[in-house]
Amino acid sequence: MALFRVSSGFDPVGGLLTLQRELERVFDKPFGFDPGPSGRGVFPPVNVFADKDGYAIKVEIPGVAPENVEIQTEGRTLSISGKREVPPPTEGSFHRRERGTGQFSRSFQLPADVDTARAEASYKHGILTVRVPKKEEAKPRQIAVKAA
Amino acid sequence: MINQQLDVPEKQETRDEMTRAGRTYVPQVDIYETKEGLWLWADMPGVDEESLNVHLDNGVLTIEGQVDVKEYENVTPLYTEYNVGNYVRRFTLSNDIDSDRIVARMQHGVLALEIPKAERAKPRRISVTQ
Repeated sequence: MALFRVSSGFDPVGGLLTLQRELERVFDKPFGFDPGPSGRGVFPPVNVFADKDGYAIKVEIPGVAPENVEIQTEGRTLSISGKREVPPPTEGSFHRRERGTGQFSRSFQLPADVDTARAEASYKHGILTVRVPKKEEAKPRQIAVKAA
Repeated sequence: MINQQLDVPEKQETRDEMTRAGRTYVPQVDIYETKEGLWLWADMPGVDEESLNVHLDNGVLTIEGQVDVKEYENVTPLYTEYNVGNYVRRFTLSNDIDSDRIVARMQHGVLALEIPKAERAKPRRISVTQ
C-alpha cells in the first residue's frame, strides 16, 4: 500500500489528501473493527469450549443435513468432514452468491484427559456440537476432610 | 484427491443501530431468480423458527433472527474462530412481487424465502398475429 505518491509537480496539499484517504481506507474496514482470532478464511469455523465435565466443540454448518457429516475419532484426533451443497431449484440465475459450497474437513488434537469412547455429537439449527467428556480420574474432585 | 478448501469471510457486524443487547451480524445470502419469482437463502445458524422474524414494510424486506446464548453461560472458551450473535439484514424489493404469497421456511439454520413475482411482472410471450 503506497502511502506517498511521487507526483511530477510539487503539490503538498495533494499529498496530504492522498495520505488522508489511505488512512481512512485502512481504518474504515467494511467488516467492522473486530478482527477476531486466527482461522480466518477456513470453513467451517469452530469454537471449542470447556466446562468441568469435558469439552464441547461447536461447528457452524448451516444447511448441511446431519447424515452428510462424518465425525471420527482416532486416538486423540477428532475429525469432522462433510459436504455442503446448495442446489438451485430450477432454471434461473443467481443474483448474489455469498454462501460457500463444497467439501470441508477439519481435525483437532484433543487434550490427553478426554475419553473419546464416550464422545457424543448433536446437531441443532445448523450448529454441530461434539461433546467429549473428560476421563473420570481427570475430573476435579473434592476431598473431604475427616474429623479425627 | 484434493479437498477443496472453502473460504468463508468473518461475520460482518451490522451497521444498523440495534436496540437489542448483544452483537448482531449480517447473514450471508444467496439470491436466485427464476421466471416465477425470487429465492433467497440466508445462513443463520443457531436460529429456530420461533426466534425468526421476517417482515415486509413499504417494500423493505427485513430478516431477523435471534440466537440463544444460554448454552454459553457456564462454559469457558478455549479456542474461538467465530463470533456468536443475532442476525439482521434488509433488502429493498421492487413492486413487482406478490407480497401476500411470500413463504418462509427454516431448516438446519438456513432461512429459505420464496418470493413469487406478481402476475404482471412475469415474462410473457407476445405472439405475432398475422
